[in-house]
Amino acid sequence: MEAQETNNGSEDIIICRDVHKWYGSFHALRGITTSIGKAQVVVVFGPSGSGKSTFIRTINRLEEHQRGQIIVDGIELTNDVRNIDAIRRDVGMVFQSFNLFPHLTVMDNIILAPMKVRKMPRDEARQVALDLLDRVGITEQSEKYPTQLSGGQQQRVAIARALAMQPNIMLFDEPTSALDPEMIKEVLEVMKELASSGMTMVVVSHEMGFAREVADRMMMFDQGSIVEDGSPEQIFENPQSDRTKLFLSQIL
Amino acid sequence: MAAEVRPVGNPPLPPPILERGVIGWMHANLFSTWFSGALTAVSCLVIGAAAIFGINWILFNADWSVIATLGGQLVIGQYNTELACPGQNCFWRPQVSVLLVTLILGMMWGLAGGGLPKRMGIAVAVILSAFALLPYSFERMGMDVRLLLGANIPALGIGWAIARYTPLGTSRNVALSAVVVFVAILLLVRGGPAIPGLEPVSVRHWGGLMLNLILAVGGIAFSFPIGIALALGRRSSLPVVKLLCVVFIEVFRGVPLITLLFMSQVLVPLAFPENFPQNSLFRAAIVITLFSSAYMAENIRGGLQALHPGQAEAARALGLPSWQTMLFISLPQAIRNVIPAIVGQFIALFKDTSLVYIIGMLDVVEISRAFIQGNPEYLASTKELFLFLGLVFWVFTYSMSYVSRRVEENLGVGRR
Repeated sequence: MEAQETNNGSEDIIICRDVHKWYGSFHALRGITTSIGKAQVVVVFGPSGSGKSTFIRTINRLEEHQRGQIIVDGIELTNDVRNIDAIRRDVGMVFQSFNLFPHLTVMDNIILAPMKVRKMPRDEARQVALDLLDRVGITEQSEKYPTQLSGGQQQRVAIARALAMQPNIMLFDEPTSALDPEMIKEVLEVMKELASSGMTMVVVSHEMGFAREVADRMMMFDQGSIVEDGSPEQIFENPQSDRTKLFLSQIL
Repeated sequence: MAAEVRPVGNPPLPPPILERGVIGWMHANLFSTWFSGALTAVSCLVIGAAAIFGINWILFNADWSVIATLGGQLVIGQYNTELACPGQNCFWRPQVSVLLVTLILGMMWGLAGGGLPKRMGIAVAVILSAFALLPYSFERMGMDVRLLLGANIPALGIGWAIARYTPLGTSRNVALSAVVVFVAILLLVRGGPAIPGLEPVSVRHWGGLMLNLILAVGGIAFSFPIGIALALGRRSSLPVVKLLCVVFIEVFRGVPLITLLFMSQVLVPLAFPENFPQNSLFRAAIVITLFSSAYMAENIRGGLQALHPGQAEAARALGLPSWQTMLFISLPQAIRNVIPAIVGQFIALFKDTSLVYIIGMLDVVEISRAFIQGNPEYLASTKELFLFLGLVFWVFTYSMSYVSRRVEENLGVGRR
């Protein structure tokens, strides 16, 4: 197995070998081979349609890959439903459009999965939820409904909801793209705090300031492949591929 | 020292007089253009003339005695006739059934602690009790009948107290009690040779509003879960399940209910073993339920389809298995989104119960028609009678849509 130089030699928690994905005849992922170490923060970026969202969605099998191998936390993703459910319990995900459950209060959004999946008693789940809401800075809103909150608050609740399952890995699919500029910061602050706590994070984002400050590693996707993979310094100061240079020049 | 922030820009002004208050409303809604002004004037004339004519007829010209003459027949049909219930008075059985329903309403009030269940419960109990004061002679309407009607108010209170002060007062137990009461009512009204004191009354003699309500409540209670199952089946990835559901839905939606009712008398018996106890009411109930389920399935499927796929995705990403995702995330939202369609379906079902006349059952409409036919001296009162029937149906259907609106408002918190 080819370990990446940026992996610091730590234990690999996500391993992808030659992963392919097609939507009909469209080849969305074209042989992704990489591994991500424990506690690494990886920012994935690239033009739209480059396969970056598809890539992180294959990690918890919201998208099925059709060829290759994905091993998450020592479990290989196959069609075995038990494996998929086991991995989803350990991998939290935050979406661009928040996807909070609008018919449940903030509290019920957070405690649902711990109670139903982890069989946690309600009182304990509520305590966990209150601690998490405190951590993401929304203590007063637990009995409100999601639509009564601002976008930034909703996204922070979504982060708390994912953390309530006590995952080992957190996936972020463009977590700030649907937010007004003044709300992006509050979400990024939460993500920074999470990164510093040692969480393994894979973040699809074009927040280059966040990447420069927090990421251990950045991956540039284009046309279903990883065209560049390295530390933020390397990517920003000395990009190897022309595609990366061009893309960065367009967004920075 | 907190620096005072000077307001920048112009202060807000009240809107112009033509857009405020009563004048504003009238201007916007009634007289915004000369055409709408003319329309308003003409409408007022038409409505006013109709109202004067209508009220005059209702109060002074109409002869409402036909309704008093029919009386209890409208409610129970021929249930209490010598033919149905020889040698005894069976009127108490439907009446006790009504008391049981009031009891359940009281329990719902006790459970909710107020609000809509309280208002509905009180309204139903008071209206039913008021029937005890009808100015019939005591020969026609005995003291026992009046007392049982008046007992609806205490029944409501007892139900309320049961929910308040006994372990029965949980939502699960109240729901279970409702099911028990529904079965108990069927047993009570039907009777049976094995039940002492309850001589069997053939369903041929069930009738009146009682028949409409039994069919409607049974149909609603069963078509809702069957409809959900069909909707899920139609979305299933298993091709055989999907095909079966599609065929079922399309067949039952594609045939008029009246045809189904006709066929039911011939076809339903084929679906059961020969010695299976069944009767025309049972067969009609099955067909009405299945017919309604097919529509229900499409309503719920529509609700499921309107959901953002991110909802199920988020639940799956949290590790919820697909059945829990459906149960806790997708279905509650889907059903909430299609409450108006579902209630519309229930209202249609309630009105359609009148179609059982086609298999010879005397529902409230048919018993009225038969009465006029058998008593030509009342021929002139047909319009009064059917106007009254319209009002009865309207009261029930309007109550249904009123309840659904309130439920929708309560569930509307945090709507997308």
